[in-house]
Amino acid sequence: MSLVHFQILSAALFSIGLYGVLARRSAVLILLSIELMLNAVNINLIAFSAYTESLASTGQVIAIFVITVAAAEVGLALAIIINLFRSKGSVDIDEIDVMRW
Amino acid sequence: MMLLDFTVMEGVQVAWLAPAACILAFVLITLMRLFDSKLGALISIVGIASGFAIFLYVYSQFNNSGAEEFAREWFSIGSTEITIGIAIDQLSVVMLGVVTFVALLVQIYSVSYMEEESRFGWYFGVHSLFAASMLILVLANNLLLLYVAWELVGLCSYLLIGFWYEKRSAAEAAKKAFITTRIGDVGLLIGIILLYGTAGTFDTSTIIHIAQSGGFADSTLMAAVLLIFLGAMGKSAQFPLHVWLPDAMEGPTPVSALIHAATMVVAGIYLVARIFPLFEVADPSLTIVAVVGLSTAVIAASIALVMTDLKKILAYSTVSHLGFMMLALGSGAYVVAMFHLFTHAFAKALLFLSAGSVDHGTGGKRDIRELGGLRKKMPITFVTFSIGALALAGVPPLGGFFSKDEIMMAVMDGLHPVFFLIAIVAAFMSSVYMIRALILVFFGDLKPENQEAHESPALITAPLLILAGLSLVAGLFVAGWQDFFNVKHHDINFVVLALSLLASLGGLLLGWAIYSKEWISSRDVAAKFGDWEKHASNGYYLDLAYQWCIDRIVLVVARVVALFDRIVVNDTAVNGTGYSVFLSGFKLRYVETGKVYNYALAMVIGIVVVGLTIYWGLI
Repeated sequence: MSLVHFQILSAALFSIGLYGVLARRSAVLILLSIELMLNAVNINLIAFSAYTESLASTGQVIAIFVITVAAAEVGLALAIIINLFRSKGSVDIDEIDVMRW
Repeated sequence: MMLLDFTVMEGVQVAWLAPAACILAFVLITLMRLFDSKLGALISIVGIASGFAIFLYVYSQFNNSGAEEFAREWFSIGSTEITIGIAIDQLSVVMLGVVTFVALLVQIYSVSYMEEESRFGWYFGVHSLFAASMLILVLANNLLLLYVAWELVGLCSYLLIGFWYEKRSAAEAAKKAFITTRIGDVGLLIGIILLYGTAGTFDTSTIIHIAQSGGFADSTLMAAVLLIFLGAMGKSAQFPLHVWLPDAMEGPTPVSALIHAATMVVAGIYLVARIFPLFEVADPSLTIVAVVGLSTAVIAASIALVMTDLKKILAYSTVSHLGFMMLALGSGAYVVAMFHLFTHAFAKALLFLSAGSVDHGTGGKRDIRELGGLRKKMPITFVTFSIGALALAGVPPLGGFFSKDEIMMAVMDGLHPVFFLIAIVAAFMSSVYMIRALILVFFGDLKPENQEAHESPALITAPLLILAGLSLVAGLFVAGWQDFFNVKHHDINFVVLALSLLASLGGLLLGWAIYSKEWISSRDVAAKFGDWEKHASNGYYLDLAYQWCIDRIVLVVARVVALFDRIVVNDTAVNGTGYSVFLSGFKLRYVETGKVYNYALAMVIGIVVVGLTIYWGLI
């Protein structure tokens, strides 16, 4: 196992997440895809940290931060989605275009 | 140390107090808002009277061995230090006396002459400002300060010509005077800057010193001197920039007497005399001065012959005599020019004030065809006007005789005899138009509508009598004058003297024969010179020519510039920028779909582009 394998895994995971964000119509699934992207980043951080002497455990620490932020973000995003569902009766983002001119 | 402080109180140094007193009067009148009050006149007269008292003291302390200068730092830019200061020499002492004295008399005269006017105090406020500026102009030891004062007197002239600004012609005349003199002033400013460029100082005596030791390039000095002379031409109404002075007669008559006869218009003469050594070094420039002066003298005198407005006759006569002074300067005799300035100031102020007395006594009549026979009704004015007219015509032993004679001799000495012959013709015309005005206004039969004419009150006649007395005796100064300026007495050229006297008396006689005895019918003369009279009474169409230039050249260019400004600067550059932002915003708002995934896609594409750019090393 070398750094490259981790990077490939991370890149694959990130791309899957990105595809999900761009292609899905359901807000919940988009949220899930964003989680995938965040985790891809985490893998990258930890891998670089583990394979690079001078970085020591910086990567791990930042990964913990990312997980924390992600947890907060999920809480916030789910609250938005619930409110959206209550007012629009749907979580299909095709129907949500109020951020417009 | 910005301003002169109060420790400078010794000897001739106190001269700076003269303009200071007038400035103080102006500030008091303005700050106390005495624009409609009689108190304004009192303050102003006290100011100028103290100015005159200071002149008397300075004169008593003055020894004419050389110039004394007192200067302090005004401001400094980098290593360049600009000084503010006064120079006391013969020139400035003479001018100090003439300005304070004439201004004092004119202001006293104005109290009665202007008493009916609204803005009475304001009139005196501007008079104070004028006196202050004129005194700064004559005392200034450097050209920058002189230029500042030069513009200030122009401003006061503008304000006072346009005193009756409700009258359209007065407002137009004020504008014309300001703009015409401004054309010359631009030359003056450029000339001063040219001198500064080489000399590195505005100090007059230093610049003269540098010029005399050959410190200036010939072409620079020549250009600077001629440009400064252009300024003098504008201010001193030399042909072809004289057109503003006759129009300036729209102002109150005391203003014409003070500003447009005795003081401001001679600023150009004074300036040339002040930097006279520069003209001597820049060789052919004096010839140009002489040619301009001579043509002014002849042309203006010929126009004065046919004018019918009393004040316009006097105005053209002033232009003509300013031409004589320039001619004297051009012949190299600046002392003589200053002497003529001196006698002319009294005689012409006297004539104007007498003309003002005439129009005061007859209810505003100035057309000599409507006047006549006033010598019985206005005896004092008649006597004073006659003295002024005869002095100006050059009848011995009045002041004008000596100064004109000095000029003729100087011209004979310094210039080609042709100059002398033409100058004699101008002097002859001078006599004719003066006797014409005198006879048509005061002799002949009193017109029935002028039966009500009356002599003016004492406040008007007193200054007249004082000036008349001075005009009578001004000639006696002639010997002392040359001592005062430390120039040698030259031998009297009796041929010149005889010719000049013949011209004066011949002119008087001819005028008397035509207008009083009618031995020669003025109609026959008019018929003989009909065309010429038409041309002359239109001022040789100079005004028309200028109007044509303004309409066809200045305004056309201005319209092109205005069009450029409207289309290119305003519509394209300024409005165009704003409109393009508006339009692009209007079109681009459809990009904002409101769909989150569109934004996300745009973000991704952006990141990919940035990433690839960095990867390929494009940044």
